[in-house]
Amino acid sequence: MAYNNVNFMRLLSEESSHSTVSSDSCEYYQTEIFDQLPSIQASRPEQSRQACEDYQGGSEAGEEVSHDSRGPKVKASTQPLRNLVMCIQGRRGVRDRRKMQISNIGFWESWRRSQSINRKRVWAQMGGTLSGLLPWQHTLHAIEGRFGVGVKAYFVFLRYLVYLNLLHCALIGGFVLGPTAFYGRGKNSEPLTFGGDDSVLDFFQGSGYLDRSPVFFGFYTPGSLNLQCLNTPLLYLTGILTILFLSLILVVRRTTVGYKHTWMLGKRHSMNVSYKIFCGWDFTIQDPPAAALKHSFIRNDLKLFLEEQSFSLREAQRTLGQRVRLYLLRFVLNLLVLTLLGGAFSLIYFATKTSQDERDHYWLVRLVIHYLPPITISFVNLLLPHIFRKISSFEDYSFTVQVNTLLVRSIFLKLASLGIYLFFIFTTIELNQQKNHFHCRENLFGREMYKLCIFNFLCTFCNAFLLNYPRKLLQEKYPSSLLAWLWRKQHFLIPFNVLDLVYSQTVCWVGVYYCPLLPLIGAVTLMATFYIQKFTVLRCCVAEQRMFRGSSSSVLFHFMLMLGLLMAAATLGFNLYEQEVTTGKNMSSCGPFGNGESVFNVTGVCVDSLPSPAQSTLRYLASAAFALPLILAEIILLTSYVSRGRANQKAIERLKDMLVMICAFPLQSSSDKRFLVKQHTTVLRRLRNPPRVRSAAIKEDVPLNH
Amino acid sequence: MGNKQTIFTAQQLDAYQDCTYFTRKEILRLFDRYRDLAPQLVPLDYTSHPDVKLPYELIGSMPELKDNPFRQRIAEVFSEDGEGNMTLDDFLDMFSVLSEMAPRDLKAYYAFKIYDFNNDDFICKTDLEKTLNKLTRNELTEDEVRMVCEKVIDEADLDNDGRLSLEDFQHMIVRAPDFLSTFHIRI
Repeated sequence: MAYNNVNFMRLLSEESSHSTVSSDSCEYYQTEIFDQLPSIQASRPEQSRQACEDYQGGSEAGEEVSHDSRGPKVKASTQPLRNLVMCIQGRRGVRDRRKMQISNIGFWESWRRSQSINRKRVWAQMGGTLSGLLPWQHTLHAIEGRFGVGVKAYFVFLRYLVYLNLLHCALIGGFVLGPTAFYGRGKNSEPLTFGGDDSVLDFFQGSGYLDRSPVFFGFYTPGSLNLQCLNTPLLYLTGILTILFLSLILVVRRTTVGYKHTWMLGKRHSMNVSYKIFCGWDFTIQDPPAAALKHSFIRNDLKLFLEEQSFSLREAQRTLGQRVRLYLLRFVLNLLVLTLLGGAFSLIYFATKTSQDERDHYWLVRLVIHYLPPITISFVNLLLPHIFRKISSFEDYSFTVQVNTLLVRSIFLKLASLGIYLFFIFTTIELNQQKNHFHCRENLFGREMYKLCIFNFLCTFCNAFLLNYPRKLLQEKYPSSLLAWLWRKQHFLIPFNVLDLVYSQTVCWVGVYYCPLLPLIGAVTLMATFYIQKFTVLRCCVAEQRMFRGSSSSVLFHFMLMLGLLMAAATLGFNLYEQEVTTGKNMSSCGPFGNGESVFNVTGVCVDSLPSPAQSTLRYLASAAFALPLILAEIILLTSYVSRGRANQKAIERLKDMLVMICAFPLQSSSDKRFLVKQHTTVLRRLRNPPRVRSAAIKEDVPLNH
Repeated sequence: MGNKQTIFTAQQLDAYQDCTYFTRKEILRLFDRYRDLAPQLVPLDYTSHPDVKLPYELIGSMPELKDNPFRQRIAEVFSEDGEGNMTLDDFLDMFSVLSEMAPRDLKAYYAFKIYDFNNDDFICKTDLEKTLNKLTRNELTEDEVRMVCEKVIDEADLDNDGRLSLEDFQHMIVRAPDFLSTFHIRI
């Protein structure tokens, strides 16, 4: 036979002896599966049951068989007791026997073993206390019990964003607030006192008192720290860039972890019915209404699956004429979507232009005019997704495709409306600068971002207390009234709430350069949002009827976050570039780069002061000559990873085919089957646990013909 | 309770700590939960290894289990007599395997046994149908049940014998992203 002498390398992963919730501690899988096989079980009749009867005798079902198995003998006998597949009495027997073994081993070995056991216990306890210290753990527990994993994923994401913003605050404190507090500000900067024109409205408009406060860019004029390479402007810039760079690393890491998980499992498995059946019931549910809900989830999910089957059947049976008509209809509807988007953008443009109006009005009207752009953006983002949903019902897609197109369109709408708004602000500020020169341009920009942030939070607040809570009260008190029927039950729509979170985080990132305290505001508003949403979910909502797969959509949300970050970086880059280009016309007269200095000036001065090898390296890195080799190297790396992944997938397919082929012959020994399944899972595991492995290469000759 | 607990000897507690995923405190807390189910049946002193079994009806009425459609199977799988009547050891074992810290393969093994209604070490079509009916509370039509079961066998059966063996099941569940988060009970 072709596969007489087969060598394969067994990789030992260090995660095999303990488990975390998301890791696959499958190293001993091969020993495990071996002693669970029917043929092996048949050769030891009722041994495991006997072990439970008298735990003195204690035949170690796990240990004995492992000596027969092809598994590593060393590993099996030091396997943690808890992971052995037997009842408690059996494990007790194993434990006693191991203890007896210990007395035969010798002092050093037994001391080492007991130390490792104690160490594991201490680690486990520490891990337990640490996870108990995580904020809001109890709330998340309660939410999971009542609404399942999907809603909990939203709150976990919220908590992650709070951590991110607190990290940003710490960085701002270190790079921006610290030096300014320590080394003071510029000599002719405005003092921080209440002036004559200030009022409470300033906190909403970002003008007056707030304009002169540390909240905005203009406060941080260069102070007494004036070395060439260590001055407050440079520290400011470094702080902001560090924030963006760190966020990029964290978000990319989170995205790729989730992506690897979903992609490696194969996209075709995301609709896997087996998962719905065997992993469908959430064992953490303890609430009868939640249980009833879960039953209807699962039923709806299965009906959905059956519907999709019949839809794909129907789709395959479409005639040519029907298909042409359908594509034409879809084309027209997409045009409609684009026109709607265009209309929304022009609305935002008019709102931006109106808000720059400096005429004197009654204070309430002035407030509304200032907030007109955020109001328009929120209105557009509220209305348009409903219209999109109506449109997509005419497009005749399957349900999942419908939901995905709706999600993609909403994401595009939200991010594009923000992008368009930023663009319009730039142009209108440019125009206004030419009229009145003394306004600090960066402060104007920061003001807009500040207003967006505040308004987002106000929206969430009003949504919860002025919309959802009255709706719930109405449902309770007058359930049969017309209004209650019109204003139906509130579902907690997870994707759209996550989209809101991503949007507010993007605003924070875009605005952090112009408004350094924005992360602090963001963190505070996020924490308040947590409690507001908790109130909404626990008191006002009925859980979503359609099941939400937390794991597969989390990749989409992290990707959205990354897009937001890229948009923020692009805005900042464009702004700095523009500053450099228009340096003759509109000097920024405020903040760290006031007094005629630009960002490039300051960095240029610093670079010039470095020793010459460092200088030449930096210049080389920044030049175009470096970019090309860098891009080439990245392309090569990417190609090698992709081709390796593809080769592994091919190997998996080949092994699967081999398995089916061999099992088609009933007279063939079942050990072939076992071997191939093991091979298959080894390769699969190798795909998923590449780093952090100590390879213990074990060459084995496996005769396939018994 | 403090340090002076007299329910178990120190060796017993150590043995429990090694054989389950629970710490001392949790074991004592679980013992309290066990005892609360039937205070007149469960003695306060386990140092002499009393042979006490709680009937299935008491176990099945626990708040953590009473809404679970598979509670009877869970109790049967983890009980010594296979009928659902559990000793303290069985009780601890059950919650240990279903806790957050148990590794995927251990859970997969027990999940297989839970879904194997006729205990023949294979999940055959009838087992699948029973699982499905328990999951949906008999709300699907027979045709729909049949179609879903066929699809499951189609997807997961690697050796093409028309039923799922432990290997097929474990192979399939290893790739399920939600298995660990759904297959655990908190107590």
